Amino acid sequence: MSNRTHAAMAIWRARTIRTAGDRSFLVYMVFMVALVAIAPVGRAVWLSAVSPGGLAVLASPAAPNIAALIVAVLWACALLLGRDRGAVIRPPFLTHALATSDRPRTEAFRGPLLRSGGLVTAACTITAGFVGASLAQHALTDLLGVISFMSVGAFVGVIATVLWLAGQVFPRPAISVAVALLAFGALTAAVPGLQAFTPWGWAGLAYPSNSNPPAPVALTGLTVAVVAATPWLMSRLRLNAMTVQAARWHSATTHATGMDFGAAATIYQGRPHIRRRTRAVRLRGQLAWIFFIRDAIGATRTPGRLIVGVLALIAGGVILAFAFAPAAPGWLLGAAAGLAVFVGLGPVSDGIRHAAVVSADFPLYGISDEQLMLRHAIFPLIVTVIVLLAATVVCSLIIGTSPGAAIAGALSLGLLGLVVRIVNALKGPLPPILLTPIPTAMGDPMAAVRMAWALDGLLLAALVGTSAALAVGAPLLLLTAAGIVIGSGIFRWRSRR
Amino acid sequence: MIDVDRVGVSLGDVTLLAPVSVVVGRGEALIVRGRNGTGKSTLLRVLAGARKPTAGTVRIGDAVVDGRDRDFRRRVSVMIGLPPMAPDLTVFDHVMLVAATWVDREEAEGLSQSVIAELGLKRLGERFPHELSSGQTQLFGLALVLARPFEVLIVDEPEQRLDPGHIESVISVLRARRDRGATLVVATHSVALADGLADRTIYLETAA
Repeated sequence: MSNRTHAAMAIWRARTIRTAGDRSFLVYMVFMVALVAIAPVGRAVWLSAVSPGGLAVLASPAAPNIAALIVAVLWACALLLGRDRGAVIRPPFLTHALATSDRPRTEAFRGPLLRSGGLVTAACTITAGFVGASLAQHALTDLLGVISFMSVGAFVGVIATVLWLAGQVFPRPAISVAVALLAFGALTAAVPGLQAFTPWGWAGLAYPSNSNPPAPVALTGLTVAVVAATPWLMSRLRLNAMTVQAARWHSATTHATGMDFGAAATIYQGRPHIRRRTRAVRLRGQLAWIFFIRDAIGATRTPGRLIVGVLALIAGGVILAFAFAPAAPGWLLGAAAGLAVFVGLGPVSDGIRHAAVVSADFPLYGISDEQLMLRHAIFPLIVTVIVLLAATVVCSLIIGTSPGAAIAGALSLGLLGLVVRIVNALKGPLPPILLTPIPTAMGDPMAAVRMAWALDGLLLAALVGTSAALAVGAPLLLLTAAGIVIGSGIFRWRSRR
Repeated sequence: MIDVDRVGVSLGDVTLLAPVSVVVGRGEALIVRGRNGTGKSTLLRVLAGARKPTAGTVRIGDAVVDGRDRDFRRRVSVMIGLPPMAPDLTVFDHVMLVAATWVDREEAEGLSQSVIAELGLKRLGERFPHELSSGQTQLFGLALVLARPFEVLIVDEPEQRLDPGHIESVISVLRARRDRGATLVVATHSVALADGLADRTIYLETAA
């Protein structure tokens, strides 16, 4: 970093000088979060990795193929992520100041790239270390194998970082390259003979139980090549794209800091751009039909979101079917299904969110707020019920469980999941009373309450999913969950203005 | 038509709107003027039933204003700020949907087409809200509150973000509504809009 860039960064950092007390508190907070939140999760992951079930997965013959597929998916995701939130992001003002200066991009934006790369590379290396160590625990590999696989993980992380940057520099080609990566990744997983000819396949060949010495060497060569291309890529970062990304990221982090995760997610929500000439409002039939068609065509105007939504609903149905399998952890799978359905409902419930906003504003439509909400609920309800039922029934038949209970569970989950979406749409801003500190000997519990408020949609979705999965054995739980969700909806509806 | 009787709004010791009285007849346009902070938007919110006055009463027709009353919602169209817009609908879809919920199908098509034409939005009909400029968004907002039948129209600063040419369009659109018998209440800083529309003007004094 030149003296001028260094001086600019020093001025920027001097805006917020932290006292020694502030720094100590920060260190304390990071330590406590690591101790309370991260360490138990890490321990749980480690224990499941070394458990007989975990070992069966990690040491299975299919594991190298799956590892190759995961690497291809990771790289495709890195490319796609770069389109919206690149690897090189600084605060908006700093981005503008540095990008319009005569300082080369490689110098002015090296820091964010190194930080992004460090994060991804560390995550990949640690994941590879977990896999290698759990295999070594059962003498399925040796220390050298673990270290070798960790280095492969690091190379995969470095390549992912450069692809992340490439997605930021070339947002349009990134889509087709990512789709190609996914397709070839799936092909490689299906035809293991192709592994030797694909970079993601090299990661599979380097799997500890499948040790293949040339594979890490090939990945090393590829890593060196992509790192060498980094300055060229950085020099092609465009000012406009960087400032737009910086502004969006700044807004999203501001909302997230204020625990308004919905607003933060909306900033990255895909905007409609196709089918503008297809009339969404067709004046035929009842108003309910007009609203159904309007919501359906509206959803197809962001096809990417719609596809993700339908896939999430399918995933929800499949997980729910597994939750009804004998000896399956029904509550856990049910919660996962609830979360998947909540995510899947997002792209098909734009109308519900619009109705919620309209209901808190001056009258716009010639029908009551209740009627507006009900009519906007028709499309997501039909889509959710059809997709969930189809996925659940098909999966139940495949795994050989009785579809009867799963159908009842899918119907409950679809209906209550939609109510959760309505409750979430009516949320409004953080109630000021939740900002009141309540000092206790154990600390301030209001922080946890605020977090629960911020994540209430996800928590309610998990509750609904669990209750739907356990509905046969514990119908009271389903009724209680329904009461909580519907009660929350009525309360928020009445206090919406 | 509208009877504002010594209406005032206070928040504790802070006066948001000093007491004001005015009567507006059917088919008249009331222009509300005053410097920033004198309570123009607050008065409009009271008239729209979105805020209860701390003093005085407002009647529209024979009834005391109630923003949740079904009949009131049917008679009064309001634009204070921008109306909510659905991100997945085009300009034309929006206007058509609003119209379709107020009038029968045949009339809705004609009403939405005419409002869009009056406000010069025809070439923007296939755009989504995020593709409009701030001035175009203002016109679009006006189109939404005009695409329905109403007896009273309450609009806060319709000239915002508009160039002089578009302000003239807005004046002629609002004048046409007034000439058809609608009662208008418009808060504005625009001299052109006030001169072009006013049957009656009130100047609000400093609230505090």
